[in-house]
Amino acid sequence: MTNTFIALAVPALLLLSAIFILLFGFSSYYSKNRGYYITLVTLFITFCISVNGVGDIHSAEVFPHIFNAMVVYDTFSATFISLFLLGGFLSLAIAKSFIDKTNFFVPESFVLFLFSLFGMVVLTMANELLTAFIALEIASMAVYVLVGLNRESLKASEAFFKYLLLGSFSASFYLLGMMLIYAQVKSTNLNVIAEYILNNDLNSQLLIVAGSMLIMITIMFKIAAVPFGAWVLDVYEGASLPITAYMAAVFKISVFAFIIRMFLTNNDFVQLVFDPLIILGAVITMIGGSLLAVIQSSVKKMLAASSVVHSGYMMIALASIEDIDSSASSAIIFYLFSYFISAIGAFGVLSYISKGTDKLISFDDLNGLGKNSPIIAVSLTIFMLSLAGFPSTIGFIGKFYIFTSAIESGYTPLALFGAITAFISIYYYFKVIVHLYFKESTDVKVQYGYKVSLAFIMISAFIVLWGGVGTSLIFNIPGINALNELSKYAIQSLVF
Amino acid sequence: MTNNILLNILLLAPLTSALLIFLLNISRRYTKQTLYTLLALSGSGLSAMIALYISYTSYFEQKLFVSNLFTWLNIGDFTIEVTLKADALSSFMLLFVAPVSFLIHIYATGYMDKDKSYGRFFTYFNLFIFFMFLLVLADNPIIMFVGWEGVGLISYLLIGFYFDDIQNTYAGNKAFIVNRVGDFGFLSALMLLFVEIGHGGFSYDAIFFNLSLIDTPMLSLIALLLFVGAMGKSAQLPLFVWLPDAMAGPTPVSALIHAATMVTAGIYMVARFAPLYNIASDVSLFIAYIGGLSALFAAIVATRQYDIKKILAYSTISQLGFMFMALGVGAYSTALFHMFTHAFFKGLLFMGAGAIIVAFGHKQDIRELRGIRRSVPTIFIMMLIGSLTISAIPPLSAFFSKDAIMGILYASDHLDLFFIALLSSLFTVFYMFRMIFVLFFSENTTEPSKNSVKSMNYPMAILTLLSVFAGMLNLPEIFGGNLMMSSWLDLADKHFVFSHANEIFLMSVNTILICFILYYAYKRYAYKDTILKESTTGLVANKFYIDALYQLIIVKPLYALSFFFDRKISHDLIDTSINSMALNYKKLGKLFAFFENGNVRFYALYMLIGLVLGFIYLFLLLKAML
Repeated sequence: MTNTFIALAVPALLLLSAIFILLFGFSSYYSKNRGYYITLVTLFITFCISVNGVGDIHSAEVFPHIFNAMVVYDTFSATFISLFLLGGFLSLAIAKSFIDKTNFFVPESFVLFLFSLFGMVVLTMANELLTAFIALEIASMAVYVLVGLNRESLKASEAFFKYLLLGSFSASFYLLGMMLIYAQVKSTNLNVIAEYILNNDLNSQLLIVAGSMLIMITIMFKIAAVPFGAWVLDVYEGASLPITAYMAAVFKISVFAFIIRMFLTNNDFVQLVFDPLIILGAVITMIGGSLLAVIQSSVKKMLAASSVVHSGYMMIALASIEDIDSSASSAIIFYLFSYFISAIGAFGVLSYISKGTDKLISFDDLNGLGKNSPIIAVSLTIFMLSLAGFPSTIGFIGKFYIFTSAIESGYTPLALFGAITAFISIYYYFKVIVHLYFKESTDVKVQYGYKVSLAFIMISAFIVLWGGVGTSLIFNIPGINALNELSKYAIQSLVF
Repeated sequence: MTNNILLNILLLAPLTSALLIFLLNISRRYTKQTLYTLLALSGSGLSAMIALYISYTSYFEQKLFVSNLFTWLNIGDFTIEVTLKADALSSFMLLFVAPVSFLIHIYATGYMDKDKSYGRFFTYFNLFIFFMFLLVLADNPIIMFVGWEGVGLISYLLIGFYFDDIQNTYAGNKAFIVNRVGDFGFLSALMLLFVEIGHGGFSYDAIFFNLSLIDTPMLSLIALLLFVGAMGKSAQLPLFVWLPDAMAGPTPVSALIHAATMVTAGIYMVARFAPLYNIASDVSLFIAYIGGLSALFAAIVATRQYDIKKILAYSTISQLGFMFMALGVGAYSTALFHMFTHAFFKGLLFMGAGAIIVAFGHKQDIRELRGIRRSVPTIFIMMLIGSLTISAIPPLSAFFSKDAIMGILYASDHLDLFFIALLSSLFTVFYMFRMIFVLFFSENTTEPSKNSVKSMNYPMAILTLLSVFAGMLNLPEIFGGNLMMSSWLDLADKHFVFSHANEIFLMSVNTILICFILYYAYKRYAYKDTILKESTTGLVANKFYIDALYQLIIVKPLYALSFFFDRKISHDLIDTSINSMALNYKKLGKLFAFFENGNVRFYALYMLIGLVLGFIYLFLLLKAML
């Protein structure tokens, strides 16, 4: 399979199957279930296609004559595309029970899934600011609607409106920033901008500085960094659980993918101007996120708040990137993967045990789960341990890489601060485990059904564990070393 | 079949069957006992056959078996390969460890018959063989340590096997904790070795090759710390206290782990590090004296024990002391030979004890078991042969092995050690025949509550034959032999000049003394009630108050210290401060939540504030730079 083929086939297939469901969605034959399965199969096939692009270093512009170097397909984008598709697949597969038991999912809901994934796929391949903006907005628009999917719920509608308003507000900064950059460089292509920055002194870069500051604000909004991410609690709370999982795990990664590409092509510049800001942002984000997470009484809101903290960790790695060879750049990809799989699992368990009800799962609702449904409890425990960064889970390795790379780059206090935040995070993550196992409860066995959802939860739990201790020496299943290798390839392909 | 596959099967067969039994056991499905039996016996049987083949080829063809499994660690220059290597010493260990394990497995199928934890027992038992093989076959001390800890763990699990009785769990804890002291020594020695010569590789060959790079005081320290490890595992003074208590486990456990195999790991380790101990001769001598003291001490204590298994446990400590004496003066292969014969006769004695315990409704006190000769004649004969063997009556196997030790002690100019050994050997005769005469020669008769089980008798019969004839493997020159085993092992033995006349003289004196003691024991205990009149107070009956002493100077202060840390440091200082921190953090969170008020206009305001601050920063930065 040639790389050009993969680069075309994946978005094309996503789009085609979205259009297919749209066209035939009105016929009574295409029920919710069929839409669901078509989406699932599409994601699976596209995932199988896209993993072929992972593992060796390659980079090429896709049809440079037609697209005019606007999109580039390299190992970096291939890795992220595979990650999104896997994430989309897992969050949908785990959500099967939730989707079946609720009535607000219609065939068209899955179209939105596919559209948003299409947007993310293009976003990672975008090598140009305008393309990136359009891709980001395609993805965001779809996610806005997904948040408000449940029209009967006042909370969901509220969340939808808040997210839409603030999202549009933040998008305007991006456009303004892009305009300023274009005014100076006369191009929006990332490579051209990088070249311009290299060849000119700071005096003739002032508009670029201002423009990138504005773009940065949009991005900080998307990854929910404090103080731009105040929306996150309300929106995550209002959205239904599978959508929250999808936003927290998959959508956030796509934004990070774009930042990494942008940063690494303009690395010296970013380091000079923006590193102090990012560091400050990381600290505030970690403090704010953990302050919010500590006081939550609902598990979902706690996870939402803690996802802010995780953004903070990733900002540590962003600040620590010195050049393409520094371990921070591959550490961040490893961390993204580790957070993504743990968050999908954690939200997945919540959606599985909520059985489609709209009510917020509080900590007390988890009481006795360890006794009544041991498998679910063990999986949730594994995800919590991983999110808290406990050894022998993938979350530990991810945090370990991030903190060591920060120390390598000379940001020891920052790494220390991250470690302290991780220590605080033990409080709210272990609260879940305490409620699972050590609280008095009535002995009621609840039948959850949907063995498939459970199976995917268990698979995610296995990946979390294997990513923490496994090595591809045993059984040839990629473990820590392989994932690390993959992230290194991805980063190296950026300068290939 | 290639050699490394053989070694791998040898190692993995018991692991596989342990795993299968474990899975069957936890599946809570009803499983027939025969299936467990089949699995347990096939695992240990297969490895026993391979072990015999390996030692056979190693002996006759001097073949070296090596199997590279995988690389465990690879940090910089430092690599730890998981490599199995069966050189002469390892093959020699296999020669008795594997078959004796197999025999005791068969025996255990009878002993544990209809036990509710049958599956769990054999999971541990098979796992034990796996770790023991790992210990013996390891090519570097790190892997050996894995096996070393593994057997320790299984020993702990099996001592506390009947955990319904809290006393058994305490005994298991005691064994584990005392062994940790030894392990600490072992581990420290390994770390020192690593610091000194770790750069040159860490396999045995590499270590011995680089030994000359270490200066003498450090080398002595390493040798001493290694021996501390051996002291723990092989139950020598002052770390012996766990072994008598370890008899709380089922008898097959005592036979396999606490007599024939695991406790000999210390001997094996010292013999393995023979090149090291040959240089550190001070430490070697220290080993010899510790061995001598242990031998004498345990033999004396055994004369006042009444529990049939405890007598045997002290006897094991005493015999291990003999081996350490031989190791200490540099006669490694002699020590190993005694370990070899010891595995057979001590295994046999324990099995006999177990058979008696099963037959008489789990009574273990010899005072309650008097006069059982007529009820269990076969066990009587086998126990008698076992006791004669341990007393070193010619031509039984221990005669050759023990006399070789005595001869070497005599020839090595350590006469004090020689007399300690002689005295211990005479005490051995006394306490063994005290037990035999009380058990079997009495007018009282006790009727068995259960007939003996066949699967328990056959392994005992085989071990009886082995304890009688195993001595032939290492016949000294005066009996027309040529010390085949010693030349096979080819260890760095020290050689002592020793005339044949002296040797014959020693043997005769020794044998005459033994017969005399035997007669004395007969007079004293056979058909008499002397045993009931023995006082249970005094120094010997209280094991020289060693347990009480440890309790007073180690356990109690430790408890007091722990209590202090628990109450004052952990509870008052750490818990309180952490709780108050958490509480304050939560209060802070409540304050911060004020900003999260759900109003979009506020959220947009925060963004704008962020934007403005960001541009102020940029303004200042650019002003500074331009």
